[in-house]
Parts: sequence; C-alpha cells; structure tokens
Amino acid sequence: MHLPEIDKYAHLKSIFHSWEPRAKLVSFLFLIITISLLHNLISACAGLVLAVVLVFLSGIPFRFVFKSLTWLFLFVLLFFVIMPLTVPGRILFKVGFITCSQEGFNIALLIALRAISIGLLVFPMIGTMEFHKTLKALSRLKIPNRLIQMIMFTYRYLFVFIEEYRRMTIATQARLFKRRTNLSTLRITGNLISMLFIRGFERTQCIYDAMVSRGYKGNLEIIDESKLCCKDFLKSSLIIMAALLLNFSKFVF
Amino acid sequence: MREVIKITNLEYVYPDGTHALRGINLNILEGESVGLIGPNGAGKSTLLLHLNGILRQKGRVEIDGLNLEEGNLDKIRNKVGFVFQDPQNQLFMPTVFDDVAFGPINMKLAKERVKEVVYEALKEVDMLYSIKRVSHHLSFGEKKKISIATVLSMSPQILILDEPSANLDPAARRHLIDFLKRLSITKIIAGHDLELILELCERSILLDKGKVVADGNTQIILSDSLLMQEHNLEVPSCLKADFQKKIEERVSL
Repeated sequence: MHLPEIDKYAHLKSIFHSWEPRAKLVSFLFLIITISLLHNLISACAGLVLAVVLVFLSGIPFRFVFKSLTWLFLFVLLFFVIMPLTVPGRILFKVGFITCSQEGFNIALLIALRAISIGLLVFPMIGTMEFHKTLKALSRLKIPNRLIQMIMFTYRYLFVFIEEYRRMTIATQARLFKRRTNLSTLRITGNLISMLFIRGFERTQCIYDAMVSRGYKGNLEIIDESKLCCKDFLKSSLIIMAALLLNFSKFVF
Repeated sequence: MREVIKITNLEYVYPDGTHALRGINLNILEGESVGLIGPNGAGKSTLLLHLNGILRQKGRVEIDGLNLEEGNLDKIRNKVGFVFQDPQNQLFMPTVFDDVAFGPINMKLAKERVKEVVYEALKEVDMLYSIKRVSHHLSFGEKKKISIATVLSMSPQILILDEPSANLDPAARRHLIDFLKRLSITKIIAGHDLELILELCERSILLDKGKVVADGNTQIILSDSLLMQEHNLEVPSCLKADFQKKIEERVSL
C-alpha cells in the first residue's frame, strides 16, 4: 500500500526548500486565502498559473503532484455536473428537459480553478520541508498545542496503521481469502476494520503509558532552532506581493 | 548496599476481574541486575508498570525511599526509565532527536542541557548518526536502541526493560547484551529470553499467577528443570549441557 508521504521531496534544493518554515507557512497561507476569495475567472486563471509556476520552482515532480491530487480533480469534476444543472441563468445548451446554464458553468470553473490552485500550492508550502519542521513551525506560530499533537500523532501513526492493515490483509490472503462482491467479503472486511480500531485503541494506551513514564502531562514541547533571515523576508514579501496583485486584478479585469 | 525498590503486599486487579498481582513482596538493591521471568500472563509487565507509577492500586511501592503517590510521581519517573517491549509505542515523536529529548524537556532541563543529554544518550547507544532521522523509518534494531536512548537521556537510577530482545536479530541482540553489560545502573529485565537473563542478571525472580514463586541466583533458578517445567518455562540449552558440572563447581566454592 502506498504511504502518503507529503514530504517525499523535502530533500531537494530550491528557493522553497531553504525558506524558513514559519515565513513560508504564513506567506503561502496568505496566498491561499487570497486565491480562495477570488471571484473573477481571469484572476483565478492567473492564480492557477502562479500556482503552477511555484510548483515548478519547488522542483517537486508534476507527476507526483498530479497523482496526489487525483481525488481533488474527481471532486472538482462533480461541480461541472451539478452547478450548470442547478444554477439558473443563460442557457448554454439543452438536451431534452435538461438545461445547462452558462452561469452555473462559470461558477464550477471558478471553484475548480481556485481548488486546483490551492491544492497545487500545498506542495511548495508543505512538500518542501520535512513534516516535523511544519509541526515545529506551527508550534512556534502559537497554533494550539492539542491541535499540533493531534496532527503529529495522526501523521506518525498513519504509517503504523497502514502497516498493520497490510499485515492483516496478508494474513487473510495466506488463508485463501479473496475479495469478491459478496456478503462474506463485506463481513470479513468489516471484521478487519473493527480489529484495526481495537488494535489502534490498545496501541494508544501503550503510547500514552510510554509518554507518561517520560513525564508527559498533556503539553508537548518541541525544540526548534530555525531562524529567520533577510532572504526569508524577501521571499515572503514576493509571495505576499503576488497575492495582493491577484487580489487587485479584479479591479482591472 | 541500599534498597532502591521496596514492594510490600502489592495487589492488582484489572477491570475485567483478572487478578494480575497477588501480594508481591520484593526488595531490590542498588546496582543489582534482576531478571523477571515467568510464563505468559504471569504478571511481569503489570509489576513493571507499577515501578513507574503507571499502574497503582493496593500495596506499597517505594522507589529510592519515595513512596509511590501522586506527589512523588515526577521524581519517581525521573529515577525510573522504562523501555517498553514494542519500540513503535516508545518512539512517538517525529524525529529521533525529538524522541530522545522528550523526557529531558519534561524534566524542565535547559535547552542547551537537553541537547547535551540527547547527544550523550545517542552516543552511548551508537546511534548519533540517526539524530535527524525520522523515527518510523528506522530498522527494528535501530528503533530498539533509540528506545533505550530515550530513557538514558533522563539519567535514570533504575532501568526497566520489558522483553528487550523480542524480534531482534542475533547481531542486534548481542549488541544489546554487550551494551547492557556496560551499564552499571540498577536493571530489571523481564522476558522469555532466558539466555539473555542468564548472561545479564545475577538474580532472578520467577513470577507465576501474580505471585513470586522463586527469588534467587539466576543460574540456580534457571537450572531447576522441575521448577521451570512447573511454570511453563524451559531450562536454557546452555545450562542443560553443563548443569551438573557448574553446580558441582558452585558447591565446591
């Protein structure tokens, strides 16, 4: 089973890889929020072009990016089916009693452009640093500790969870189980999933014991030594400037 | 030598009604290496969990003169380092450094001191090269060594190891034995690897059905085939061959 490693290309070298994590997160979040608030198709197109350029500059292979965004593309595709049929407006085309509106299509396109741009921006933002650096940056940005712990443990134990699922699947296959479209498969898969939850619960207790035995009292402190320098501020300024230009472009187009 | 662990009338019943410990009385001296043996479900892990204050119910446990109670838990956890059987449960932080630093940070050591003790602990287990690595990407043997470093960084007076050689390959097991031999602190080692216990511990405690069945010299206990059989254990093969010869030697001494 494929391991969801967002930081698979964190070892590369690019202007984003050398960027201080806090500055990078804040700048990209600003750009993402700006893009999510765009209401103009041309501005959204510009946002998408900018996102593609930033992914290119990050050095992360487009193949990896597009593969990771497959589900997003499928989700976005739904809007092209739903919106033209449900939003009233100028008729784009008519097939029998089904009418598709231009306004609906435009809204779907706007949503798709914004969603894909944001999806793409996640890669230069998070994919260019190891995941623990993202967590440390979030911690230093005063994100609630509980939330950081939840993200950290989810990411850390996702690999264990997947490994355990893989082992259990092999165990079923070793005893001649084959997935079919029948009730038996459904029942066995249900059992596997419930066993995963039980094991997950037991493991949680063991991890908590291990944490408590080393003095854990609910708060997680992490040492982070990253420092901001002039280059980081310069990179942040460029991204924020690009975001502001996108925002102001709505007055031009 | 002074007593570092004193257990009086310790009882523990799990919520499902399993009576895991039944009136345990034990004294362990400073610097002793004690093997805790017994069949599955004998209560070994339950007993060990009491020494770190993770479990508490009925009876009295004193660690280095401190009674096991809420107010003393922090001090006791600084003194007792617990290495759990599965390193996946022990290593929960994103990187090796963070994992080894977890205990010292909770001990409120200064940042610079934390770094020092992390370096020292990793150096001691020959894992300094992995300091920046992601914990879940390490091999099982490496994870085990890091697990030990996570408690060594807290400079414990007592080291507790639950099944330390479980799932280790012969080379990693040998390395672990040699390393533990070099450690001069009080050690309590629980497990089924009787040859390891024979090599490391001069004293052994045989636990069965929550009771101490035998307590004494490791070689004598492990050589007693009747006692071992009675408690679902087996005389280690290295003792089977020259049992008679060694006993004669001991008697003549």
